[in-house]
Amino acid sequence: MAGAGRTDTRLVESETTETDAVAAVAVGLSAVLFALAVAALFGRVSLTGSLLGVQTVTLLGGLLTALGGTVIAFGVGSRFGYVETNPDPSAGLIAGFGAAVPWVVIGASVASQTLGLGAGVGVVAGVATGAVAFAATVLPREDLGSTVPLGALLGVTGLVFLTGAIGPTWVWELGWAQQAAITAEFLIPVSTLFSALYGGWASAKAYGGFGARGRHMGAYVLVYVNALSIVAFLFILVAFVVVQGIPGLLNGTEFGFGTGPTTSVFGVSVALPVSVPFLMNGVALFNDFQGVLPAIVGTVWLVVGAVVLAVPLGVGAALFLTEYAERGRFTQVVEVATNGLWSTPSIVFGLFGFAFLIPRFGNGKSLLSGMITLGFMLLPLVVITSREAMLSVPDEYRDASAALGVSKWQTIRSVVLPAALPGVVTGVILGVGRIAGETAPILLTMAGGTFVPGSQTADVIGGFQFTSAPPFVANPELLQATSALPYQLYALITAGVGASSNVGNADEFRWATALVLLVVVLSFYAIGIATRYYFRRRLRHT
Amino acid sequence: MSENTTPRTETEPQTETATTGTDQPLTTTAGESVEQTRDEWREYDFRGEAKMTVEDLDVHYGEDHALKGVSMEIPEKSVTALIGPSGCGKSTYLRCLNRMNDRISSASIDGSVKLDGEEIYQDGVNLVELRKRVGMVFQSPNPFPKSIRENIAYGPKKHGDLDTGLLARLLNRSDAEERDELVERCLRDAALWDEVSDRLDDNALGLSGGQQQRLCIARCLSVDPEIILMDEPASALDPIATAKIEDLIDDLSEEYTVVIVTHNMQQAARISDQTAVFLTGGELVEYGETDQVFENPRSERVEDYITGKFG
Repeated sequence: MAGAGRTDTRLVESETTETDAVAAVAVGLSAVLFALAVAALFGRVSLTGSLLGVQTVTLLGGLLTALGGTVIAFGVGSRFGYVETNPDPSAGLIAGFGAAVPWVVIGASVASQTLGLGAGVGVVAGVATGAVAFAATVLPREDLGSTVPLGALLGVTGLVFLTGAIGPTWVWELGWAQQAAITAEFLIPVSTLFSALYGGWASAKAYGGFGARGRHMGAYVLVYVNALSIVAFLFILVAFVVVQGIPGLLNGTEFGFGTGPTTSVFGVSVALPVSVPFLMNGVALFNDFQGVLPAIVGTVWLVVGAVVLAVPLGVGAALFLTEYAERGRFTQVVEVATNGLWSTPSIVFGLFGFAFLIPRFGNGKSLLSGMITLGFMLLPLVVITSREAMLSVPDEYRDASAALGVSKWQTIRSVVLPAALPGVVTGVILGVGRIAGETAPILLTMAGGTFVPGSQTADVIGGFQFTSAPPFVANPELLQATSALPYQLYALITAGVGASSNVGNADEFRWATALVLLVVVLSFYAIGIATRYYFRRRLRHT
Repeated sequence: MSENTTPRTETEPQTETATTGTDQPLTTTAGESVEQTRDEWREYDFRGEAKMTVEDLDVHYGEDHALKGVSMEIPEKSVTALIGPSGCGKSTYLRCLNRMNDRISSASIDGSVKLDGEEIYQDGVNLVELRKRVGMVFQSPNPFPKSIRENIAYGPKKHGDLDTGLLARLLNRSDAEERDELVERCLRDAALWDEVSDRLDDNALGLSGGQQQRLCIARCLSVDPEIILMDEPASALDPIATAKIEDLIDDLSEEYTVVIVTHNMQQAARISDQTAVFLTGGELVEYGETDQVFENPRSERVEDYITGKFG
């Protein structure tokens, strides 16, 4: 009922109208398309197969065309006053650039590849198409500008799929020296994904009735999709590794009394009621099933050693820098140096360990060298985050403590450190996440082969010995080469596991190793997050 | 004030520096009147002893001359209000009285501050002891993120007066009872006991702003100070909480010497026994009995300030 050019807005929105419902359906359709595209990208939906009795590509094409048509119809209807909206005079430059980008790609590809006019013409055609899309977005009133170019994009993509111009078996040979080709398996999901995003953006704007509210809706949809896809990709990655890794992990698993290996708990020998050979065995000639126990234990000890080394040093350094040192050139130099150290490539740390530590600790790769190398890697992050955490402790606490006549060190110990602890723990969590998955330094300082025998499982606690001569305590276990999960995974992939080796299924073995690595790293995360939660709670609600 | 006569000569160079300050409104009226007012306030005679004696106190923050030759005597067991516009140096002055300005590296302090006749700006002053005797309450409530009990026991614990640590508990020497008595006494003195007695182990940050400020006062009382410095303690609080703090200050002045900085002139008039007016530039312009300062100020600038014409 609103005439074209009417700008005033009703204070109270009328109930949901049919047109609102249409826009909402369009938003929903975009969401469905987005989900389908992601599923197809990860091979969860087969492009050659069919969905709901329709061939997948045809279904995608049909949905895209329908969405494009709806979006255009909504825009045109609004322009001619059949739909009540509050559009601005123009969709704006950013929307113009947004619409121009896909049209540049389409124009260039069609001119250079489909029509075979060569690269130069392709560039010109791409720029021209983009310019038209830009003008079509920016020049007309917002309801037309933000729907027609995007609706047309959806329509073109959909029709290409519908007509079979790009079908499930389509391949584009790039013709480079290497064998490189863009296949339908990649192109169809990706173009559907982007089209769905654009469709969602346009229909969300339409649902909001264009104008300020429409833009808010459009931005909301984009931000929401962004956040959702981050979570989704993380979930997909973890799920992928779990699904692939489970068979290898459970290979030869037995339940039942006395099936597991025998361990001694407080001097009493107990046979575990469960046997998971992958987690409980090393590699040996007579094992029925091979496992990665030495690598698991190696990883855990590595991280523990690195944390024990880096946390006191790092927190101490941060304390000195924030509480004692005069802020000036010296602290600036230290700050730059720590930041630089944090961005130093890990292989450089590895080389340092190889050249400096190994000759000093038994002249061979050892767990101790690995721990120290990783400790040095962790150190800068602990310094940086602890410093941030201490700087964010309000000065009021320090003033209050000083006004009670409490000395500086006591203030630091009882007020500053407890308040900074959650931040320090966060830094350690981040750092552990990095070093636990680090391969290069371990390669040079600690690793001992692709297949690590069970006898090489580091028994650090049991390894301590007292000697009569200085240094009075020795631990040969720390000086032994062992393995860690990231290195083991790397070695399995590069050195390969032949069919003749006694590892049953090489692929399963690798995926299971990856899964165990993931679980170990995530467990460290969980410990860190629990610790942080505990300290935060103590600060907030004692 | 027997010793008042001797330092009077020392104030002479001070008045000179004040008169050389060219663009101050007061000096344009008459350099002479400055001298007169100063003489008069130094003769301000109060009952009782001078708890703190400040003479010729100058504070610089780098190039900035924040406090210019302030001299003043603070009587025992009374409330002294410091008023003046923002940036006039009254908080700086307050922070000089327990050497909190030492914590600002750019601050340089000249002059003399005596506590019970003992100079606090000299080598060998035990800052721990000084700050135990001269406590401080800050503008915004700043309880530690600990329990209410811990907040109050914090000072005495750190000074070794209370030992409730693991070792003390193991050796059966824990001072838990003494601590609880101390917590109750301080909270009662700060008029907070009735409101929090059933949740002493809750985090202090869960209290309301006014309760937090009274907790800070209680925390300040826990180390048994003789003087309590308050830096606009009620400026972040609502009128009801402010009224409670004011009542509390009134009660505290029976046992403690209270020096309070405030922006609120009505508040100063309500609670203080004597008032010192600082004006822009870091000068102490008038100091005297509160009624006299508010009803019959000697300085025109102070009258303008109090009646709202200036500042």
